[in-house]
Amino acid sequence: MEKIEIKLYVSGETPRSKKTIAAIEKICKEDLKDKAKLEVIDVLDRPDLAQKETVFATPTLIKKLPAPIKRLIGDLTNTDKVLLGLELLVKESEA
Amino acid sequence: MTKRILVIDDDLGIRQSFVLALSSLPYDVDTAESGAKGIEMEEQNSYDLIFLDLKMPGMNGVETLRQLRKTAKQTPVYIVTAFHKEFLRGLKEAAADGIDFEVLSKPIGIEQIKLVTRTALGNPETF
Repeated sequence: MEKIEIKLYVSGETPRSKKTIAAIEKICKEDLKDKAKLEVIDVLDRPDLAQKETVFATPTLIKKLPAPIKRLIGDLTNTDKVLLGLELLVKESEA
Repeated sequence: MTKRILVIDDDLGIRQSFVLALSSLPYDVDTAESGAKGIEMEEQNSYDLIFLDLKMPGMNGVETLRQLRKTAKQTPVYIVTAFHKEFLRGLKEAAADGIDFEVLSKPIGIEQIKLVTRTALGNPETF
């Protein structure tokens, strides 16, 4: 599997943020087989990073690698929709 | 049933921007010019999504959010902010108290408002 880099932007340690982080961590571990490097950024701590990456709303998930860069916004707790949106849905034959 | 959206902002131009942006989508949009008015409207109606300005005279966005959450416990609330440092601490404290919200950063464009609204009321979208 190719190198995968994902950034997750959330706003504060709200219950919803914690749920989103847990869902993405689960996807990284179980679906991406620990091959993904996940970075979680709180926009309340680092608004500069959000601005630099033109993140205008939370939660936003950005797949930096492999190309192409994909951004996903909205409810990120559905595994299939996240993998499909980031074009990381692995075919059975490739698993 | 048509979904209802409430926009709370003291700036008339911002309120009009939201109304204009959402006019092409199948939602009903109400506006309030203050936190107090927004809370009153939320108590009288049931909204599916709320956009809330952070920096307002009188009751600011953080105080309004805390009041709104007493009745609108599950409603998605987007705090619209230019990340003023004086309000970030209040937001972090609200988050630590278990109060849910998301953030929408200013300046905000028409297409961004539409995208955030669609995803908040529907499925996630790639862009």
